[in-house]
Amino acid sequence: MLEYLQIVFGFQSLVTIFIGTVAGVAIGGMPGLTATMAVGLLVPFTYTMDPTAGLMLLGGIYCGAMYGGSIPAILLNTPGTPAAVATAIEGYPMSRQGRGGLALKVSVIASFCGGTFSAFVLLLFAPFLARQALAFGPAETFLLALMGLAGIVSIADENTSLIKTLIAGVLGMVIAIIGTDDMSGSLRYTMGYVELVDGINFMPALIGLFSMIQMLELAGQRHHKIDTTALKRRQKSEPLPAGIARPIALGAGTGTVIGILPGEGATIAAFISYNISKRMSKMKELFGNGNPEGIAAAEAGNNGCVGGSLVPTITLGIPGNSVAAALMGAFIIHGMIPGPDLFTDYAAHTYPFILSLFVANAVFLVVGLVFAPYLARIALVPPALMVPVVSAFAVLGSYALNGSVFDVYLMIAFALGGLVLKKLGYSLEALILGLILGPIAEGGFTQGMIIGHGSPLVFFESTIAKVMWGLIALLLLPPLHAYWKHVHKPSRLSAGQ
Amino acid sequence: MSRKWADRALLALFIGMAVLLYLSTASYPGIARTTSARYVRFLAVFIGALSALQLGYSLLKDRSAGRLSLTDHLPRFLGLLAALAAFAVLFERFGFFLVAGVFIPLVAWLLGYRRKSVILLVTLGVLLFVWLVFVQLLNVNLPGPTF
Repeated sequence: MLEYLQIVFGFQSLVTIFIGTVAGVAIGGMPGLTATMAVGLLVPFTYTMDPTAGLMLLGGIYCGAMYGGSIPAILLNTPGTPAAVATAIEGYPMSRQGRGGLALKVSVIASFCGGTFSAFVLLLFAPFLARQALAFGPAETFLLALMGLAGIVSIADENTSLIKTLIAGVLGMVIAIIGTDDMSGSLRYTMGYVELVDGINFMPALIGLFSMIQMLELAGQRHHKIDTTALKRRQKSEPLPAGIARPIALGAGTGTVIGILPGEGATIAAFISYNISKRMSKMKELFGNGNPEGIAAAEAGNNGCVGGSLVPTITLGIPGNSVAAALMGAFIIHGMIPGPDLFTDYAAHTYPFILSLFVANAVFLVVGLVFAPYLARIALVPPALMVPVVSAFAVLGSYALNGSVFDVYLMIAFALGGLVLKKLGYSLEALILGLILGPIAEGGFTQGMIIGHGSPLVFFESTIAKVMWGLIALLLLPPLHAYWKHVHKPSRLSAGQ
Repeated sequence: MSRKWADRALLALFIGMAVLLYLSTASYPGIARTTSARYVRFLAVFIGALSALQLGYSLLKDRSAGRLSLTDHLPRFLGLLAALAAFAVLFERFGFFLVAGVFIPLVAWLLGYRRKSVILLVTLGVLLFVWLVFVQLLNVNLPGPTF
């Protein structure tokens, strides 16, 4: 471990982590730009970098962006990222009361605690979980992908129905079958395009769905003037309120656990942490009017998601959320396939990457405590300037990995198609997870069928398979139950009338 | 087009795709017939059934009348799309720097930004950043003329 610490604390590594984290805070602070967008956009560029440095840069961006979203949420009522919406509910009223300084302090300390705790969980459990993956055969690998699909079900929210979320996930898996069939070596659904022989490239799809789509939306939006009165108001300096450690601990734990579940993102983690904290608080009446406990729980929750989401990503190859999916792309382009090998053959890259997350958390703690009020002005960058710059990087990023203009067209097609799907209520997170899980599921399924001589019973035989079926059921039941209740609510009402 | 009908058209498209996908597995050769073909059929049945379920639900229950709107400002949206397509077409022939040097100020202007000095500074800043970081530091091979 000492040698890995030496790598992390080397001058070049520290500079890389610092640049990544500060850039992440700035990106997170710009409404419309998200951690997924930034990480997805930069993954192709890390291809020519030293793998450890590239991963540290992306890890820094992930940590920084998750925190950065809270700054404009608190001072301008404009969440930099969707994960900071819960923070705005409590943070902005505090700023209007002249207590923005305290809100920013609580936010950065809670983010630091949540992020550090989750990185610790990642460091502790990831190698253990990865070792368990050694016992996985093709049948278990297929079930693992099904577990990821079960996670897709829980992505469904008020904007995306459960069935549509599942359709989007399966559509991603269908898109993933384009290319060469591993079993027969024949081409499938390539429509004569040589560029599709190896299948749909994951990175242009990710950049199209999570970066370019946001730019298309921003370009077509009518922009509202941001209220900067709280930014101009003098904010008083206050000590941390007593009892703030409780919501922080609650948020950190909740966020980490939610992050580990496939498909669950930082936004859900922040809202669940916020709601639990509200339910358990002795000052419930202050929620909605500027309660620092709400900020603490939400920020510890969304930053707790960072390390948590990386646990299934680097151990099992099942991304915890869309940012983790983009980071998984970075591992893959450097030839590091998620699983036990990352902790043996590639330990010299993986452990410094995990340790760099602790440094990234410390960097944004210092940056946040000193510069947060000034960083809020980033949110005032006009979208008219942001859109062309990010679009140019999206084109560059799509092209850079394979040097193929076809990938740029693919990125534009995914952005346009993704926008239509999004407007019709289909989950893009589910689509990208399906795209990632597709090849894993197909590999496990086809090999399992060969081992089982064509009998599907092979997927139920081993003890691990049985446990995994249980876990899949556990993942599926709560959202299905909630959906059932939601669908039958109006009919019960009308029956009552 | 109304959102409801656009959704129904898309679901019908998914059902059609599922049928074609299922039928296509009949031509899978050799071992793929008992392995990959089954997987593809599983996906086809799954997406087809889910789409049919959603379509049925929409036909029976959906009484909404909202329109499908991809954007609030169509000229800007289409302008960005056109500029992006032009960027992709010209990118390989004329190189990143030349095309981005036109694309960034053009799109900023198109989206309503009028401060020429800021646009110029941002454009030059981005080009310098790409040249320093991606060309000099990361050795990314960009198409077109090199500097």
